[in-house]
This record gives sequence, C-alpha cells and structure tokens, in this order.
Amino acid sequence: MKKLIGEVTSDERNEIKAIFERRNGLNELAKILTADNEELYEKLVKDMGDTNFKFDNWWNRMANKYQWESTEDGNWEINFETCEIYLITNN
Amino acid sequence: MTKIKDLDFSWQSKITKNITFIVTKDCQLACKYCYLVGKNEKERMSWEVAKQAIDYILNNEDKFKEEAVIWDFIGGEPFLEIELIDKICDYIKIQMFKKDHHWFNSYIFSFSTNGINYHTEKVQNFINKNKDHLSIGITIDGTKRKHDLNRIWKGEGPEKGSYEDVVKNIPLWLKQFPEAGTKVTISSTDIPYIKESVLHLFSLGIHEVNINCVFEDVWKEGDDLVFEEQLIELADEIIDNNLYEDNVCSFFSEHIGKPLDRELDNQNWCGAGKMLSIDTAGNFYPCTRFAQYSLRSKRNWIIGDINNGIDNNKLRPFLTLDRCTQSSQECIDCEVASGCAWCQGENYDAALTPTIYQRSTAICKMHKATVRANNYYWNKLYRKLELEGKREDFEKRGIKVSPISCY
Amino acid sequence: MLKYLVIVLDDTSVSYCHYNNECKEKRLIDIDTLKKGIVYAMKENLSIQYVLPDYTLPKKYVEVMESIDNIKFCSSNSDMIDEADVIVLNGWCSNINFNREKTYVLRISKEELFEKEKDIKLSFDKMSRLNVVITNITSFKDSDIDRYNDVLNSFSKDVKSLIQNGFKINILTDRIMLDAMNNCNAGAENITLAPDGCFYVCPAFYHCGENGEYGLGKTKFCIGNLEKGVDIKNSQLYEVEYAPLCRKCDAYHCKRCVWLNLNSTYEINTPSHEQCVVAHLERNASKTLLESIGKHKLFVPEKEIKEISYLDPFDIIDKL
Repeated sequence: MKKLIGEVTSDERNEIKAIFERRNGLNELAKILTADNEELYEKLVKDMGDTNFKFDNWWNRMANKYQWESTEDGNWEINFETCEIYLITNN
Repeated sequence: MTKIKDLDFSWQSKITKNITFIVTKDCQLACKYCYLVGKNEKERMSWEVAKQAIDYILNNEDKFKEEAVIWDFIGGEPFLEIELIDKICDYIKIQMFKKDHHWFNSYIFSFSTNGINYHTEKVQNFINKNKDHLSIGITIDGTKRKHDLNRIWKGEGPEKGSYEDVVKNIPLWLKQFPEAGTKVTISSTDIPYIKESVLHLFSLGIHEVNINCVFEDVWKEGDDLVFEEQLIELADEIIDNNLYEDNVCSFFSEHIGKPLDRELDNQNWCGAGKMLSIDTAGNFYPCTRFAQYSLRSKRNWIIGDINNGIDNNKLRPFLTLDRCTQSSQECIDCEVASGCAWCQGENYDAALTPTIYQRSTAICKMHKATVRANNYYWNKLYRKLELEGKREDFEKRGIKVSPISCY
Repeated sequence: MLKYLVIVLDDTSVSYCHYNNECKEKRLIDIDTLKKGIVYAMKENLSIQYVLPDYTLPKKYVEVMESIDNIKFCSSNSDMIDEADVIVLNGWCSNINFNREKTYVLRISKEELFEKEKDIKLSFDKMSRLNVVITNITSFKDSDIDRYNDVLNSFSKDVKSLIQNGFKINILTDRIMLDAMNNCNAGAENITLAPDGCFYVCPAFYHCGENGEYGLGKTKFCIGNLEKGVDIKNSQLYEVEYAPLCRKCDAYHCKRCVWLNLNSTYEINTPSHEQCVVAHLERNASKTLLESIGKHKLFVPEKEIKEISYLDPFDIIDKL
C-alpha cells in the first residue's frame, strides 16, 4: 500500500536527490573496483560510509521535522518530481 | 523502517552536457531513411581514442560546467561495440570518482539501439552492471509492415525486414525499463501506416512514442493531406478508447501550432554546439550530424580533436545562433510556428552556402498538417472531458508531455 | 545596399587589410574588363577604389581609370605612390616622406607593433590619418591584452594633443566619432572586381588562391561576373543585422572582417574571440581618450561611450 504522508521543500528534495545519485554511483563503482586498487578502494569504502550516513541522516532529520507516520515493516519513499513522501507497506 | 527513493531522475530539469561517442559506423541494418550516408564496417573507435577523449573532458572540468552529463553512445549500432563501451563506462566511472568530478553525482549512459543484440549476454551483463545509470531506447517503427518497409537488414539479395528480430526483445526491455519510450521516424512511403503503428506500439506496452518526420526534403505532393488524415484517425482512436490516460504520442501537444514572439521566443531549437560528439578518429563535432558520415553534400564541421582540445571559435556560431536570424521572413511571421522543428545538421547540409544560418523548410507542409490534426485532437479531447465532467481533474493531474527530441 | 566597387588591378596589387597577398606573378586586369567594371560601377552608382600594383601602369590604363572619380590604394614601394590616395606600409619604416594629403595604412604584426610603438607615434604629427591593421590578429592571446593596452594608452597621450589639429587614427579616434556600426561591410556595401573578371566579396577572397581552404571548403569563391552580375548566396549574412554578436555591439569602429570570420569561426557573420577582444580594447581606450579630452572640445557633445564589463560580447550573449 502506498500512502501520501507528507512533502518536503525543493531544497530538501535536491539535497536527498544528490545523495541518492551519489549512492547509486558508488554502488555501481563498487562492482568494478577491487581491493587491488588499494588507494581508490579505500576512498570508495570511506565515501560509501559517509554517503550512507548522510542518506540516513536526511531521512531522520526530515521525519523528525515533519513528524511522518511510520510502521514497523514499512518504508518511506520520495517522488523526486513532486517532492511528495509516501509510506509504503506490504499490506 | 527503511528509507527508499524514487528513481525519477528528472534529467530535463538539470543543465546537462551531452557527450556522444560514435563507437562504430557499422550497423546490421540499412534503414532507407537513415541520415548516416557514410556508414561502413571499417571505422571503429579504438580504446586509445576513447580514453584520450575521456581524459581531455574530465581533465578540463572548468570547460564543462554543466550540472549533469549524458554519456551517449551511437553508431551505426552501438551495441556492436559492447565490449569497448563497457570498458569506456568503467573508465569514466573510475576517473570521475578518482578526480572528485562533479559529474560523478549526476551521470547517465544513454543508448539508441536497433534492439537486435539487446538480449545477448554481453549487453545484458552491461545493463545489470549499470542499471541505475542507464537510458536505453530501442527503435521500433510500428507494425511489422511499417517497420519492415524501411528498417531492413544490410546486404545483397532480397530485402529482409528486421521487425521480428527487434520485437522479440521488447518485453525484456520494458521489464527492465518500464518507462522507456521509442522513437519513430516518418518518411514519405510510410505515412499510410502511422495510425496502426502508434497504436501497435501502445499495445506492446510502450507508453511513450516520440515520432517525427524526417527533416530531409523527401516529401511529395499530397503527402501532407494523407499525413493529416492518418493523424486525425489516430486522434479518434486515442480519444475514443481513452488511450490518452496512459500513453503519449509526441504529435499531440498543446504547445504545437502557436505564433512565436520575435524577442521572447527567439531561442534556437536544436542543441548542436551545446553537445559534443567524438568520432572514431578522435575528432570533435558540435553534434553527430556534423560528422562526415552524416553529411550528403557538405564537409564535416570539426570543432577540435582529442590532441588539441576544442577550438572555441568554431563553436561561436552555434552558441550565438537564434531562431529569427536563421529563419526566412515567412517562418518568422508564421502563425503556427511553435513546435516546428529543425535539425541544424540538415540545415547546414541543405543550405546554399556552408552555413548553419539558413533554415531548411522542407517539413513546412508536414508541420502545418500536424498543427491541424493537433488542434482537432485537443478540441475533441477537451469536449469529451467536459461532457464527462473530467476536464478539471485531467488538467490538474497534468498532461503527459513527450520530451522534445531531434531524432 | 552596395556603395563601392573595389577593383584589384593586378594579381600583385597591394594588400591593404588583414589578408596577405603573396603573389609575385604579374597579371594585369584586361583593359576591356576594366572598362566594363567602370561602366558597371557607374550604372550601379558605386564609388570606385583601385588597388594598384607596385609597377607603373600603362598610360592607356591610367586614362581609363581616370574616366571616373576614384580612390587609389598602393604600397609605399609602388612607383605610383604620387598618384595614390591611400599608402600602405607593410611593417613600420620611419624613412617615409609622409604627406598630409594622403591616408596611411600600417599593416603590422602585433609583435612589431608592441616593439616599435614609440617609433610609430613619433610620426603621428606628419600624418593626417593612420589606419593600423594588425596582420596576425588571430594569434592575439589573453596575455597580449596588457601590452596592447599599453600601446593604446601610449598612443592616446600623443593623439590627445593632435586630434584637435585633425589627426585621426582608426584604433582610437574612429569610435569617438561614431554612433552606429561602421564596419568594413564587404559583401553588403562593397564588392571587388578581380583581374579574372569575376566579383569577389573582397580582395582577400581572390588573393587566397585556388588552393586556399578554410575548413569547410575553398576560400576563393566568386560572387558573379560582369556578364551575369552579382549573385551573393545568403547575402543577408553579410549584413550586421544578421550577426547576433555584432548587431547589439557598440565597438562601432570594428572592421568586423568577414574574411577573418570565415577563417576563424567558419561563419561569415561570426567574429572570433580575438577580433572582438582587440576591438573592445580599442573601444575602451577610445572611451578613456574621449573622457580625457572632454567631448565638447571635440565637437561631439552627444557622444558617450559607456562603461562595460566585458571584452568579448560572446561572454554576455544571453543578455544581448
């Protein structure tokens, strides 16, 4: 089930979008970088940690700010075009 | 609670650089309307050329300040060179990351393919590896008879259409890219099959059909009338069967067919010059249409190369070009000018002198036919929605609009 | 509208502009072609400008040439220097007997201009008008900007005291006197008749020779002949209204050289970065000169040159 639970500002949307795109880039880079390339591999691991932290931090900050509804087995989703936030649940 | 995303990249909202690698000039097909008049099996991009091009681009971040980048691969048929493409994409990703390039946060790999090799292991491995950064368009022209009229296999002997070889890959493609659209090209011979073709593509599950008439001067007396008739019939089908709710065909847009202001609407249509195209020899072009294999009667317009970089003086005419300076008085005064497209490369190729400042008007009567059918479409659709009490709701939801494309 | 017909009398005729004429082999225009050219100019109301070679022309040619009012260009080495109105100096030479009745064109490389700036300005008081043409303008670099500014400022100091006596130098005083574009206008206001009997946009398009290439094709292309008349394809592109970078530009004195345009940007109507920068350095130096003299003293009370922040209009194309 998909339920509209809120909306963020366009600046807030831009922030998570940039983080999201970087995370995707890092994930795909991880498929081709191996530990042999020590320097770059370490840079990647560190960046993935930092980016994931920023990603989680954004959702926590926003959830706190807007007091979004949540459930145990659900997740939130953002529509980058409309800035709308949805709660997705399995039932 | 997990936090997820929506993979709606909204690329059009960003200022984006389009960088095209012409990885090969070969193709399995010999489409009759293809503007690439100089296709051949010999010219293939080497890894050295590709690497040098990437190094030049990524080492000169100050010259490429656009927020995002589309790394575009064309041919011929780009997937003929999937191994090279895979190597190029890996190198781009690593170098962007290594250099902390701003494009690492905003890039996409884009392909226009004939779809024949789409299912192969190498192509599928590539797709799986890069699935979050891909835009792949498969060209399918419509029904079998329309598709096979133009999109035929290369080689001697009787003509062999490619429809069956492409349509078998459509389900896999749509499974991987459910929002993907296709582009359809119309030339003189296939006008009678437009309606059935667009409807066929909708029935295949392709919800976005970008369609355009070829810009070349191929149109015969009366083509516009048959064309208009086809579009009117298509409009009836789309509206009577409520197909407008889930599908979009670029022939029908509310923005088409209005007069344009001399000052406020003076921007160029085409993005040539804002793009960068690299050929197999490492030459740079303002758009692929300015490479020699795309030109019938003019010389290629080289703006630099991988050894010397971009000569900015060669780009100045493209970046200062506006609508009115290249248009005839008739076009400037035209009451239905909006949506009338042009291709800068075709303008150059067809011009009396080697200039991009002379607009070709070969599609004039086809545009006017489109405008008449488009007017019919919106008048009919809005009346229907009003009678059903749905117009307000429809307008509030927003009309699905097809992106403007040149091919 | 065409106003002038330039008649190049010989393949070795002097260059008075950016192009080089390296031809050493004489080829005098046929006398009948010359006569027809003059008649054409008379019928079309065109003023005639002859471009002379260095050798003495046969008497019968001179007689034909003088059958109509004209202006003659020759080099400082020409045997016909006394007959000419405009004398071309190829590089600086101090030992010229300057004549205030004549106009001088100094064709000079930027390097030589930078080097001989002091020598050149010492001769300002011997001339009434000097046109400076930088022959290698396409190699002008951003690093040359300061040096050219120094030259313009240095010239300006001398021009300030000479201008009220009537001395003019194109790179400093022309802009002061103008309130609209006044460019070379080859192809729009003037065309050239060459010794081969064909019309060209300007002498550069003839002297570049059969093998001249500019990237998109042959640089030498004719625009008609005396039998069929003038036929300039896409002729609108020679007009300033069809030049997006130039039509709102106020470097009014700029040559807007279509020959340089074609060779550097591939388009007749689009100037190179270098041509724009040089013209704007001159424009800005003209502004400073005008301010230092006071516009009332120059009898140009309505003229004002505005402060601008760019040297190349391309940098502000979105705002033009």
